[in-house]
Amino acid sequence: MPVENSVIDLSTTDVMIAAALVLISGGISVALKLKMEGKLALASFRTVAQLLLIGFVLQKVFEISTLPALIPVVLFMLLTAAHTAVGRPARTYAGLGPLAFCTMAVTSLAVTITATGLIIGVDPWFRPAYLIPLLGMVLGNTMNGVSLATDHFLETLSERRHEVEMELAMGATRWEAARRPISDSVRRGMIPIINSMMVVGVVSLPGMMTGQILAGTDPAVAVKYQIMIMFMIAAGASMGSMGMVLLSYRRLFNSKHQLLSGRIRARRK
Amino acid sequence: MLDLRGLSVAAGGRVLVSGISITLEKGEMVALCGPSGCGKTSLLRAVAGLDDPAGGHVLLNGLTPCGIGWPRFRRRVVLVDQRPVLLPGSVRDNLALPFAYAASMGARFPEEEARTLLETFGVNPERFTQEARTLSQGQQQRVCLARAFLLKPDVLLLDEPTSALDPEAVSSVENTLRTETLRRGLSALIVTHDREQARRLCDRAVDLSDFGAVQNAG
Repeated sequence: MPVENSVIDLSTTDVMIAAALVLISGGISVALKLKMEGKLALASFRTVAQLLLIGFVLQKVFEISTLPALIPVVLFMLLTAAHTAVGRPARTYAGLGPLAFCTMAVTSLAVTITATGLIIGVDPWFRPAYLIPLLGMVLGNTMNGVSLATDHFLETLSERRHEVEMELAMGATRWEAARRPISDSVRRGMIPIINSMMVVGVVSLPGMMTGQILAGTDPAVAVKYQIMIMFMIAAGASMGSMGMVLLSYRRLFNSKHQLLSGRIRARRK
Repeated sequence: MLDLRGLSVAAGGRVLVSGISITLEKGEMVALCGPSGCGKTSLLRAVAGLDDPAGGHVLLNGLTPCGIGWPRFRRRVVLVDQRPVLLPGSVRDNLALPFAYAASMGARFPEEEARTLLETFGVNPERFTQEARTLSQGQQQRVCLARAFLLKPDVLLLDEPTSALDPEAVSSVENTLRTETLRRGLSALIVTHDREQARRLCDRAVDLSDFGAVQNAG
């Protein structure tokens, strides 16, 4: 039984017992000739290696006490997220990467710093033990939102170009002609987080909250943190989706109210 | 009314039409003819300002589209695509759509006139509330033509306006186009590959082959 406000540490033996469960699964795979044992072994190895590595990295990052020393870590996270976000859509245009980076940097940092500096009141506001995990969660969801919204926007402007141009040809301004694709794309970017918010606590228990409770935190406190997190990632994903779609709109329509569909190109796989 | 001055259009880095000049008088219908790929549609798009021309310019009553404002210019020089384009929603929604734009300057959707125009173009007004995209291609093309007339433009740019119609329906739509254009005092620039249609429908025809960059060079 966990004692309140204390954490039961896991010994190496405890982790080995958990690993034994995977071994049993591997054994079943061998017995039934499912040929999944190799992949399971690799996945298990990667899980251990990646988590040990991130544990080590986080330990070092959490020791950082000055803002300038933390900036490279934040930059690395932002660059990786932006790179991933623009790598998923099937189409792209020149300048998409820098725009995604700027959008994600502004929205994620604004949301995260509001949380650490204003809501939680961490002192200093950039204390890595708070800033980095929160930024990671916000960034992960913003990245998904940006990626989905951009993909849908570029797909619409390519596949349904004639609809947008039909509106322009009848006197619509670029904003009037793009309004429908813009709202559809932002909606697309927000679907995952809206779905999560709808079922949180009913269908799924968020990992962060579960982790906090297992680590001995009072469930009431864990719940409040989780509510804050849900609002943060909702704000990050929606502002990121909106920002990215609006910046793409500015890039793909000009002041002559023309759709510059020639700028959109299929991504080389 | 509408002046095309030394207009050139290019696609994929290749000049298709070089330095064409056409003046459309009020009430005049002019056909743009030529073989497929000679730049008829590209020229029409450049006139509407959906693409930039490679050279030259367009004037409406002596004013540049930029001076008029592109949306207002396009409201007065309406392009109807070869492929009927209707958005999800009823026929009425599609006819009313452009009246929500700022370029309408507060003009209200004339519902009665819309029904009459639909009927004139051979669409039963009972289809008014039907989902527009469930109509046949031919019926959709008629709705698109009716919508263009409803906007009361000065000039119509029609790209193959009967391409989606059955052969037996072409004649009646041609008659309606001709009658309505003259009755309303509009000008029309009509792209057609069919020289017979150009003769039936228009006051004169311009052969774009005469302005092809390749031909000129040859």
